[in-house]
Amino acid sequence: MIQVRGLTKQYAAVCAVDDLTFDVLPGKVTGFLGPNGAGKSTTMRMILGLDKPTAGSALVGGRPFARLGEPLRAAGALLDAQAVHPGRSGRDHLRVAARTHGIPVRRVDEVIDQVGLGPAARRRVRGYSLGMRQRLGIATALLGDPAALLFDEPMNGLDLDGVRWIRRLVRELADDGRTVLLSSHLMSEMEQTADHLVIIGRGRLIADASIQEVMRGEGAARKVRVRTPSTDQLAGALLRMRLRVHPTDDGELLVEGASAETVGDVALEAGVAVHRLAEEHTSLEQVYLDLTGDSVQYKVSGTPELVRR
Amino acid sequence: MTAVAVQEPGTLAVFTRAAAAEWLRLRTVRTTWWCLLAAAVTIVGLGVIAAADDAQGPVGPGNPLPSTFAGEYGVMLGQFALLVLALLAVTQEYATGAIGPTLQWTPRRGVLLAARVAVPAVVATVVGVSLALIADVLALLVDPDLTLSLADAADSLARIAAVLVAGSVLAVGLGFFLRSTAGALATVFLLQLVLPFLLPAFGVQWMADLGELLPGSGAIWTLLREPEMTATQATALLVGWSGVALAAGGWSLLRRDAG
Repeated sequence: MIQVRGLTKQYAAVCAVDDLTFDVLPGKVTGFLGPNGAGKSTTMRMILGLDKPTAGSALVGGRPFARLGEPLRAAGALLDAQAVHPGRSGRDHLRVAARTHGIPVRRVDEVIDQVGLGPAARRRVRGYSLGMRQRLGIATALLGDPAALLFDEPMNGLDLDGVRWIRRLVRELADDGRTVLLSSHLMSEMEQTADHLVIIGRGRLIADASIQEVMRGEGAARKVRVRTPSTDQLAGALLRMRLRVHPTDDGELLVEGASAETVGDVALEAGVAVHRLAEEHTSLEQVYLDLTGDSVQYKVSGTPELVRR
Repeated sequence: MTAVAVQEPGTLAVFTRAAAAEWLRLRTVRTTWWCLLAAAVTIVGLGVIAAADDAQGPVGPGNPLPSTFAGEYGVMLGQFALLVLALLAVTQEYATGAIGPTLQWTPRRGVLLAARVAVPAVVATVVGVSLALIADVLALLVDPDLTLSLADAADSLARIAAVLVAGSVLAVGLGFFLRSTAGALATVFLLQLVLPFLLPAFGVQWMADLGELLPGSGAIWTLLREPEMTATQATALLVGWSGVALAAGGWSLLRRDAG
């Protein structure tokens, strides 16, 4: 369990993290979502005691991480896969970590096998691909068999196999009853991985809810697309039901905040033929974009012009 | 997974493990071995050359010279290979970002500071003293007129140890404070070698006076009994400068963000 309370990080001009409060519960994969520059990494660094909060606190397993004598048993983390001495072999990197906790070398070889680093573990990190560095970082995080895991953008730079592997791994870790916090700026990644979402933008909490809740949440009202020969008549009937109706370019109607059943019933009452009736699936990505729309730190102004032929 | 009540190890146990990890860190990068090789070549090589040079000079019968000057001359320059070793143990982690993982494994920063000061200082000192002893013994073979009594050796090696402990604490402290390899390296060289030799060379009194306030002057006096100063002054320079560097480095590690 990770508890974040009023966590704030103020740099000279920028407030990177602004009064964040949330819990990360065991047994679930919690997605930590926000656009680049939203303050996800800074928050994770403060949870791990690397950066000092300007205000507020973070507890890992009920204690401040920076005071732990055996921190790798409380939380393992992969923050930056590149942050490894390039001249040391992967295995030696792990051996050093193990030695800080009196963990036997046997366990080092176990995690090397678990992440599939294999014989590469004896080579110097200098020659590792990003994917191999990610695996090494994850091996380090797993080394102390920790109750909580924090992964910062672990899927960056991984191929499809790697991404699938991470998904499976975090699922297993959560099913073990561990606390898993996984950051990403891509909603599509979270949709398939996380049970719960903590969404931030510009350092502030935007949403703290289950995936289902976020899908149903504000700005994510269901939409129904309906095709009928009597567009005006149906639109009138729907408007009388206080539903918001928009005509689409292809002559259909888009009804907000209603289910297919409702629209079908309204059409029946109005005596209007329905040729097509479909609920629009709002992707989590769209919900996320709606939620974080105003809080993107580096927003591209305007859309790029189309190349004219 | 069942919740297990975690038995927190005591501070001494955490330090012992952190120190063991530091020792493994040093051993598992090639830089360390290059530094040790450079130290061996410089200390033993310079010592032997100094002895050979002395052997060619006029023999002074009745006034046997102890061979310990060989190790002292060797360490005068060879110490820098050992200081670089101590300094890189700190700054390379800032350069590569490896300080992040390090602080996740040993988040108690006071403990990390203690281990990261102690291990390189002990390594540099033990290696430097051993190499100086080898140089002293080889000097005896090169120039049979030299002597090496136990008392002379003990006195010389103790002074060498003092210089190396002070120097490596200075290097580690500056490494933590400046965090950049280039900046810390330049500072150590200037304070320990370049300025103490260069400033008096201008023949301007205040420059010479300033030079005598630098840690390198304390080290040179402790090794070679030059320039003119008292043992108290030299000790104050060694202890004072390494103390200040350690305080500044400790402040940087304990109070600033990981980096």
